[in-house]
Amino acid sequence: MTATAESPVTISSGQDMTQVIPVLMPGATYASVTDQIGGIVQRPLTWLWIMAFGITFVVVMVLTGAIAYLLLRGVGIWGIDIPVAWGFAITNFVWWIGIGHAGTFISAMLLLMRQNWRTSINRFAEAMTLFAVACAGMFPLMHLGRIKFFYWLAPYPNTMALWPQFRSALVWDVFAVSTYGLVSLIFWYVGLIPDLATMRDRSRNRFTWTIYGMMAMGWRGDSRHWLRYQTAYLLLAGLAAPLVVSVHSIVGMDFSEAQLPGWHSTIFPPYFVAGAIFSGFAMVLTLAIPMRSLFGFKNLITIRHIDNCCKLMLVTELLVAYGYAAEVYTGWYSGSVYESYMTMNRFIGPYAPAYWSLIFCNIVAPQILWSRRVRQNVIIVFILSLVINVGMWLERFMIIITSLQRDFLPSSWGMYYPTFWDWATFIGTLGLFFCMFFLFARLLPAISIAEVRELVHETAGGSVPPSKMEPANVI
Amino acid sequence: MNLSEVRSRLSNQRGQALWRSMEELCDTPEFRKSLEREFPGGVDGWINSGDQSRRRFLQLMGASLMLAGAGTMSGCSDKPRDEKIVPYVDAPEMLVAGKPMFFATAMPMGGFGRGVLVCSQEGRPIKIEGNPDHPASLGGTDSFMQASILGLYDPDRSQAVTRGGEISTWAAFWETVRPRLESKRQTGGEGVRLLLEPTTSPTVLAQLDELQRQFPRLRRHHWDPIGRENTTAGMVAAYGKSFAAQYDLSAARVVVSLDSDFLFDESASLRYSRQFMDGRRVRRDRQEMNRLYVAEGTLTITGSTADHRLAIRPSEIAILARALAAACGVSGVNTEMPAGREKWINAAAADLAANRGACLVMVGESQPAEVHALGHAINHLLGNLGHTVHFTEPVLGQSDSLDVLVDEMRSGKIDTLLIFGTNPAYTSPADIPFAAELLRMSKMRSADGTFANLTAHLGLYDDETAYLCQWHLHQSHYLESWGDIRAFDGTASILQPLIAPLYGGKSASEVLEVLLGRPERSAYEVLRGYWVSQWKNADFERQWSTALKSGVIAGTALPLQDLGSPKVVASASEKSAGEWEVVFRPDYSVWDGCFSNNPWLQELPRPFTKLTWDNAAMISPATAEKLNVVDGDVVRLMLNKRSINAPVLVTPGVPDGVISVSLGYGRLRAGHIGTVHGDQTIGVGFDAYAIRTAGERWFAGGVQVIKTKRTHRLVMTRSHHAMGTFTNKESLKPDAIATEQTPEWARETANRKLVRVATLEQFKANTNIIKELGGESEKKPLLSLYPGPEHGGWDYSKGYQWGMSIDLTSCIGCNACVVACQAENNIPVVGKEEISRQREMHWIRIDDYFGGSLDDPKIYHQPVPCMHCENAPCEYVCPVGATTHSVEGLNQMTYNRCVGTRYCSNNCPYKVRRFNFLAYADAETTEQRKLQRNPDVTVRTNGVMEKCSYCIQRIQRTRIEAEKMLVENSGAQQAEFNLIERLQTACQQACPTRAIEFGSIIPVGGEKTRVAKLKDEPLDYGLLRELSTRPRTTYLARLTNPNPSIEPAKGGAA
Repeated sequence: MTATAESPVTISSGQDMTQVIPVLMPGATYASVTDQIGGIVQRPLTWLWIMAFGITFVVVMVLTGAIAYLLLRGVGIWGIDIPVAWGFAITNFVWWIGIGHAGTFISAMLLLMRQNWRTSINRFAEAMTLFAVACAGMFPLMHLGRIKFFYWLAPYPNTMALWPQFRSALVWDVFAVSTYGLVSLIFWYVGLIPDLATMRDRSRNRFTWTIYGMMAMGWRGDSRHWLRYQTAYLLLAGLAAPLVVSVHSIVGMDFSEAQLPGWHSTIFPPYFVAGAIFSGFAMVLTLAIPMRSLFGFKNLITIRHIDNCCKLMLVTELLVAYGYAAEVYTGWYSGSVYESYMTMNRFIGPYAPAYWSLIFCNIVAPQILWSRRVRQNVIIVFILSLVINVGMWLERFMIIITSLQRDFLPSSWGMYYPTFWDWATFIGTLGLFFCMFFLFARLLPAISIAEVRELVHETAGGSVPPSKMEPANVI
Repeated sequence: MNLSEVRSRLSNQRGQALWRSMEELCDTPEFRKSLEREFPGGVDGWINSGDQSRRRFLQLMGASLMLAGAGTMSGCSDKPRDEKIVPYVDAPEMLVAGKPMFFATAMPMGGFGRGVLVCSQEGRPIKIEGNPDHPASLGGTDSFMQASILGLYDPDRSQAVTRGGEISTWAAFWETVRPRLESKRQTGGEGVRLLLEPTTSPTVLAQLDELQRQFPRLRRHHWDPIGRENTTAGMVAAYGKSFAAQYDLSAARVVVSLDSDFLFDESASLRYSRQFMDGRRVRRDRQEMNRLYVAEGTLTITGSTADHRLAIRPSEIAILARALAAACGVSGVNTEMPAGREKWINAAAADLAANRGACLVMVGESQPAEVHALGHAINHLLGNLGHTVHFTEPVLGQSDSLDVLVDEMRSGKIDTLLIFGTNPAYTSPADIPFAAELLRMSKMRSADGTFANLTAHLGLYDDETAYLCQWHLHQSHYLESWGDIRAFDGTASILQPLIAPLYGGKSASEVLEVLLGRPERSAYEVLRGYWVSQWKNADFERQWSTALKSGVIAGTALPLQDLGSPKVVASASEKSAGEWEVVFRPDYSVWDGCFSNNPWLQELPRPFTKLTWDNAAMISPATAEKLNVVDGDVVRLMLNKRSINAPVLVTPGVPDGVISVSLGYGRLRAGHIGTVHGDQTIGVGFDAYAIRTAGERWFAGGVQVIKTKRTHRLVMTRSHHAMGTFTNKESLKPDAIATEQTPEWARETANRKLVRVATLEQFKANTNIIKELGGESEKKPLLSLYPGPEHGGWDYSKGYQWGMSIDLTSCIGCNACVVACQAENNIPVVGKEEISRQREMHWIRIDDYFGGSLDDPKIYHQPVPCMHCENAPCEYVCPVGATTHSVEGLNQMTYNRCVGTRYCSNNCPYKVRRFNFLAYADAETTEQRKLQRNPDVTVRTNGVMEKCSYCIQRIQRTRIEAEKMLVENSGAQQAEFNLIERLQTACQQACPTRAIEFGSIIPVGGEKTRVAKLKDEPLDYGLLRELSTRPRTTYLARLTNPNPSIEPAKGGAA
């Protein structure tokens, strides 16, 4: 960690920060970028990586065990009950799906908005999206009472002559999540093709040469390749961008469709999308900050990136805060005993600690991001990103559990206590996520070589101030 | 084929010859030919014939596959076995496979019979209903009757005669007992004692009398831990002789109960419940109610229905009774008025006096003889005899008591003890060392080393008493045996077996017959023999079959007696009750312990507390504060140097200073379900008999209560403190009960209006009051974005439209409907651990709400089945359409389609849906218990949602009948109406007070149905109506009838 790169930059008033911190540190050349990023993949395994991978792999085995036991016994191994028929599974689903949002937001939305600083973080953010969606996608399947009939949620021609019930948001969810997963995968893969070709060309043995070669699909760097590639990439970005909004809107509708106090709310779709991007950027920072230091990417992922992510988090955090406020206001304004009770129950009921913790994590703590000094202090930002991850998980827990826990008839009120298997499944997916991420970091270029090279070209090796840069992907 | 040729060919071959058949060995031309024809004839024909069509090919294919299947089924044997099977052509008369048949019999309990109709499907009894013709049932049942069907199939019932724990035979027992009795013929049966449950069975009593004639010195004793000793003693004190009292509550306008739980623990409770509630039904055209005053020493379901309930220490009830008698004008009682009770006593006395001949004072068995005598005196003085009170000769057979027997056992006078049915080793009073004496008797050896005594126990279970006896004889269940029994008024019924004894058990009457020296006679012959002797001149066969069909023997009720004026007993001197009093009560689920091994009953949420799988020491909130204990804290109750450890359960309504415990738990040998293992996750309570003495069987003062450091996990089906005024945080207290005092604004924004309550006076003054309690949303039609029938939405105005009406005034919270539903719909039992996770499976539940103050709460029972909403929130959220609406307005659950997302339950505002979180139905259900299952109802698998279906199987059966009838005779509108009106759901059929009505809510055959009329009543309201769910199940509001002199008319009910 060099002092110059990490120390907060003092900027006098009126001075544009972008003049001071570039998105690419000076001195970069095509070769240096390629060596730096591609070299990570080719260097020998380190003990640190083996240990980290090993630990997460053990956790994946815990997940496997939890799923095996689930298949054996049924969802009763979890703490769910009547009235709280949804517990950790759906909480985790919404949380993971939310985390998955940042990747597509960075690569598609920011691409369309011509935000060049995205280039050095989009690759691993997209990978993060994929892994998060993979983790998320498991939960709706696992939480079914009869997992063997999951495919009944899909509209397929069958001898029963039955369709899914299209009024149910759970069916929309199937479409939304699977589309999102698929488009994210294609987008990520298309973006990888030039880099895979680079890796093929840098291969030192036949095995990697074959694998990367097959995956590169015959990429030669031909200008026609580049032309079509750029077109396809942009079109895919156009396709992916609306998904950022649609997926979590539909996940929000999973709840707002119900008439349960605490779920039955029109604020949910926008509030969920904002929350998703909020938690997604938190996870991007959780991954980026250690990675830039461990893999020596500080020249590629600069303080500028971190600063930008923080600003986006602050914006989405304010939207989320508005959502919380609207919920409380609705509880009072509705004049409904059920709505107002639900609100009071969140404030002082048995799960009040979870509510106040999430208020602290998601609303109070992120206020420090107003300060530039904080935004540029990677340690604080890293800790804050963890706090926000916890807070966003608690938010989903609060929405699901406290709404179900005490609804209309006091006779049916109850509590939800997670069991060992609830935790095993949740922690297991965390293990799966990081396990896949560690594999990704060693097998594929974690930063897009091609796009950074483009950036080198546009900024003339980082010497041109970014404000003078031409937008990268102009057709 | 020539065998000698075969032999020669074999002998000529060299090496190891392998041959497949003798034909092959013979190498006959037929064999060769058959080899050439690789395919059987049909195919050859197809190939060679010109008709090589696809159709013909498929025909051959189908036929071949069928043959292949048939070949597999016959077990690949070369030829069918020569064993004849016979199709079911000679089915028993009237039996139509798939159609249930009903048989009348009676269930004995406490010696009295209650008439039941048993539903039998293909020879398996599967469900119990009340017999409408039986005076003690009137068509209603209680939870014990409903659950007794599961007792029949209990795999833990003893299945063999045992001697010293080793399996033996009936014959071996006969060979032991007969010579022993014969040898005593000279001494007249000296030293022989029988210990029986009290019984009213005419046949058994006749057999006992005959045995007594054969052995004049044989003595018989009875033991029943619940018993009627105080009632009888009270009768003797008042009238000098034992009589049986029966009450007619239909003629009573004012009822005063002194510690009497007459809706639960009387032999005629079902009848009393019906009569009492019939006098409380307020309708548009009948605006009067009876009034109930209850003074009680614990919290009972009778108390919960009272208009004026006084929770006082049981020892104070005698003082109260004296003051009440004095206030009523009974002479000869001291007139000291207990402080603070004047209002209640004076109001009750004035009310009683104003209703001479139409009022009633009932005294519970738990009160001493003196109070009973006072009750008789008041009833006599107010001219109730012959109106609300009737007397007959005692119905129960008379015999000596248990303590006399134990004295004789101790003195060694007895060498032969035969115990029939009862379980005194567990239930005997703590100060009567029955178990110890029995053990001593069983083990004692004579000089030659053989057992000196003979002890034997006939019972359904190898229980605590069986363990201490040398012999245990397995008894047949009442559904497996012939017998007879009388009801509370003497009306006799014949018990007919619904199934041959599953484990070859014998009834008491069969064992007695062997003792009488006639081992060859079956119970059937004995029974018929008795009734032949009774109906000497009648056409026996005809009378017999009438008795079997109707379930009662006409004209067997005992004649009513005209009694003179009762004696008033001089007041006994009061002994100080001390700081704490303990109250013992039969349990609402296991009675005296005889139902301990019944999982339905163990899992049944007890009234008020909703406790399952345990009993608890119920104490009032004030007592809890004083003792500094909370729910689950274990206290040690010390009484006369004996002690038990009991977890406390704070229950508003229990009098201060009283610790109320129920009997029947803590059993050591009950079976797999009911035995205590000391494991908190399984439960089943503590044994309260351990401190209960013969002298103080129902309550005892001077008990010491010591808080221990231990806790016990009590598991309730409601969350802690959710149901009433006692939440831990005041601002989180749910306001569920709406009364006139509920301010107008709160009816919309602060009150849930789940239970709407008014007094009779308020209702008379404003018949619209119940609707007004609904607040703003009740005044305007509910708006919906969905189209009505006029715009293509659902049209609910044709055919049958099913609906239900539940009368909250009539519901006594007895749980009969819950068990009935469980029996009818194959609802699994989940166990204490799963209940603790809030995963109970009952399709109908009784929500008990507490209103008023903590120290004097009002209690409201609210049965909640599925509401079958017309706008069902559960339906539109299901992603696979597993829950849908029928054109008849039923919210249907298609188990086969359910994938188990559980969203329907999340979105159900009534939370009536139940989920199979684990494999509840099949995992641990024993094969015997599976026999009880209703073949018309699917058994649900793991991961499937389920809920009340309004007993769709019963609806379908009736619909089919109605359709058939209308096809045959399109003008049969009246018959159709009658048929549909006879359709009953299981909960409705079980309800002793007819609080539940079900039927079509639109006219059938042009006539308005019962339920439709009820829905037009001004008392009708829908639960959570403001959600626009349009529930098909609606409620009739709870009305109370307080005395204006105690509760001014302006004051509300809550």
